[in-house]
Amino acid sequence: MKKHLLAFSFLFCTISSFGAGYLINLEGLRQVAMGGTGTAWPWDASTIFYNPGGLVRLKSIQAYASMSMIIPRTAFGDPNGSAVSHKQTFTPFNFYFGGPVKEDSRWALGLGVYTPAGNGLQWDDNWVGKYVVQNTQLKCFFIQPTVSFRVTDFLAVGAGFVYGNGYIDMSQALPVQDLNGNDGQLKMHGNAVGIGFNTGIQLKFSDRVQMGFTYRSQVNMNVDGGSAKFSVPSSLASSFPNTSFSTQLPVPQVASFGLGVRPIDGLTLQFDLNYTGWNSYDSLRIDFGQNTAFLKNNHAPRHYQNTLSPRFGANVKISKVVSVMGGFAYDPTPVTNGYVSPDLPDANRVVLSCGVTVKPAHRITLIAAFESTTTMKRAGSYDFGNFSGTYQTMAVTPGIGLYYNL
Amino acid sequence: MKKIYFFGALALLFAACKPSVNITVPPTSGNADFTNYLAIGNSLTAGYSDGCLTVSGQLNSYPKRLFDQFNQIPPKAFGAVGGGAQMPFIQPLLNGDNGFDTSVSHRKLVLQFVHNYCTPNDSSLSAVPVYPYIADPKDMIRYNWTYNTYNNGQINNIGVPGIRVADYPVANYGNPINPFFNIFAYRFYHTLTERPIDELYFRMHNFEPTFFTMWLGSNDVLGYALAGGQGNGVGTAIPVLGNFYNPADITPYSVFTAWYDSALVAALSTGAKGALINIPDIASLPYFTTIPSNGLVITRQTQADSLNRYWRSTLNLVFQLGANQFIIKDNLGNIRQSVPGELILLSTPQDSLACAGWGVTKPIPQQYVLTTDELQNIRANTYNFNQFIYTEALLHHLAYVDMNAYLQTVATGVTFNGITYNANFISGGSFSLDGVHPTQRGYAIIANKIISTINDYYSSTVALIDVNQFHGVLFP
Repeated sequence: MKKHLLAFSFLFCTISSFGAGYLINLEGLRQVAMGGTGTAWPWDASTIFYNPGGLVRLKSIQAYASMSMIIPRTAFGDPNGSAVSHKQTFTPFNFYFGGPVKEDSRWALGLGVYTPAGNGLQWDDNWVGKYVVQNTQLKCFFIQPTVSFRVTDFLAVGAGFVYGNGYIDMSQALPVQDLNGNDGQLKMHGNAVGIGFNTGIQLKFSDRVQMGFTYRSQVNMNVDGGSAKFSVPSSLASSFPNTSFSTQLPVPQVASFGLGVRPIDGLTLQFDLNYTGWNSYDSLRIDFGQNTAFLKNNHAPRHYQNTLSPRFGANVKISKVVSVMGGFAYDPTPVTNGYVSPDLPDANRVVLSCGVTVKPAHRITLIAAFESTTTMKRAGSYDFGNFSGTYQTMAVTPGIGLYYNL
Repeated sequence: MKKIYFFGALALLFAACKPSVNITVPPTSGNADFTNYLAIGNSLTAGYSDGCLTVSGQLNSYPKRLFDQFNQIPPKAFGAVGGGAQMPFIQPLLNGDNGFDTSVSHRKLVLQFVHNYCTPNDSSLSAVPVYPYIADPKDMIRYNWTYNTYNNGQINNIGVPGIRVADYPVANYGNPINPFFNIFAYRFYHTLTERPIDELYFRMHNFEPTFFTMWLGSNDVLGYALAGGQGNGVGTAIPVLGNFYNPADITPYSVFTAWYDSALVAALSTGAKGALINIPDIASLPYFTTIPSNGLVITRQTQADSLNRYWRSTLNLVFQLGANQFIIKDNLGNIRQSVPGELILLSTPQDSLACAGWGVTKPIPQQYVLTTDELQNIRANTYNFNQFIYTEALLHHLAYVDMNAYLQTVATGVTFNGITYNANFISGGSFSLDGVHPTQRGYAIIANKIISTINDYYSSTVALIDVNQFHGVLFP
């Protein structure tokens, strides 16, 4: 009977999220299953991301791996018709390794490799918004060596250095047509790197009440010497030379507060608040290595706004072997009206999530989490390109992972 | 069993995850009736582009664009008034796509690299008549009812390139016996001897359109402008033959108003509703704005000194480093330096400007220049004509499309789905290679302006057009 309930519970967790803007919020599966909460309670080695201060609270060194699968699709409609983005599959992954350097040590060391941000939207090459965007991809992962120190039984702190690496792809049609009326095209590809840090304070009032504060810095993903390739009619080849480009995409700073309480044995409740500094994404500026009368640097305004997301989650320990999780959150969009661009037509999200952990053997824990995203339909305009329409994004996000206590 | 639950649930979730957004609503005709649409006008209505009329130009004319949008309106129940286009839209289509006749001036312009005359190692992308040119012999045959068996020769676009309001009373308008006959009228006018006003009555009474657009009057000013202001320009032109007025002069106001009114009475004679489109601002067309009047660029002081010496005996001109106003001959025959705001026409031979000293040591001839006075004549008469069209629209309860104001907005730039269009020659995207007539995209932009005005006036909800799906300027 229990198994029946479990199966049905998947049916009810249909509306979820892979994060507002281009943050994907999938850095730890148990936390994902609990609405994205995890600042207060150090459940496993993914606390290297959620709160580096919590790493020293782990019982032992732990190896953690997880992978999610996002299959997002976005639909667009205007009075003349509709379009749906191509089906794409993204597999953000996380590896964490770390814990107290020896049993009951006040020091802990760790290394995290995780996927904090990403975005991908591929429209038909000939769709109505082709002169704004045809395809956009952002992929990146962060590497974070981390140290954590237990000041007292009550207070633990931690910090990590963040190195980000990834790439950006963009393509769009150019309004220069050849004799057959075919558009020109610009394709850009560039590797992006950035650095930052992640810090946290973990407070343990008792076995039943814990609290956390974290601050993750902004990481500017810089592209230098990316390649910009133009396909244009031959008479314009000198006006659109293949050249390099540079740009910058900020992975924004996030300040979080988390509270975790365990009112009865086996039930843990968590509450998180994330304040995300999206306003640093003021514009998407593309500077070409070579400019001509036709080829000017591109400066597209974004004017993202800061967001505050409340998150709630619960963990129920059903037996020594099985726990189930559920959660919900409200993830408001940083994209303001007038800047709803078809490269990331974001909207407010209500997040529901769930998951299960199974301990099949001593030291090993398996985790499964499930998310699916439905943003509300959003009618929006991108005033810079005078492009407007109604968007809706949906995605399902299953994830699996395991961790092993050394 | 539990596996079935699990995978069943998973399958359901994946299946539910294809979003769709459909916000299209069926367009409606409001108080108008688009069942049978007739377009009245000149070259802009015929679909003229790149210096000529071609079949692809006709198929991308703004009347065709309007018809396609009217056609999306579901028909109303039998017996009810209104609804979308239910009659076909027939244009007197050409066969050829290179230009209408064998004269160079009616050949299609294409972009091509042309070697500069005085620096033959350099070449620049220029608009030149297509070559080789093969005329389609069918285009020279009258488009008569043997081509068009539908409804006894119905034609829904009677735009005639070159026609003026002043031509509406001219008999034998399409008849080759008339030295000023119009070859485009010759192609499809119902009879050769008739006047344009007779043709309009014929179209109204035999085919009873329910809706018309009328865009007349541009040529009553444009001919004067294209000729560099060679008529007297103050509205006192007299006929050069019978009642045919000098095509290089501005139509007298009384003639314009009388025959605009007559044409409108004809268009209204069967109870059709419609829209009147006013005369664009001629001076903001790329034909007049591409060559800057201060295009005399001096890079060395010695050049400025020698030019000052050169002109000292006749005129007291001061040249300096940088941009200087060209030397022109004005309409009174005076040689002088142009003043800012005066316009040099696109027809000015580029070779002469670049290498023969035009504008520098020789004045640019007056037929290539619009002086301040001439521009004033153009603007004043355009304003007066448009005021008259406006009062006619008010009087007869017709939609009034202020294309003059709108095209000035376009000239400074309008952005549509990611492309910014402006009136820059070649690069602006909205005007074709002749510098006067729009591209396919330009015509779609114009059609959208007409649609939104019609929607406002008749409370209809005709859908706007995705401008970017059509051709702009094509590059080799």
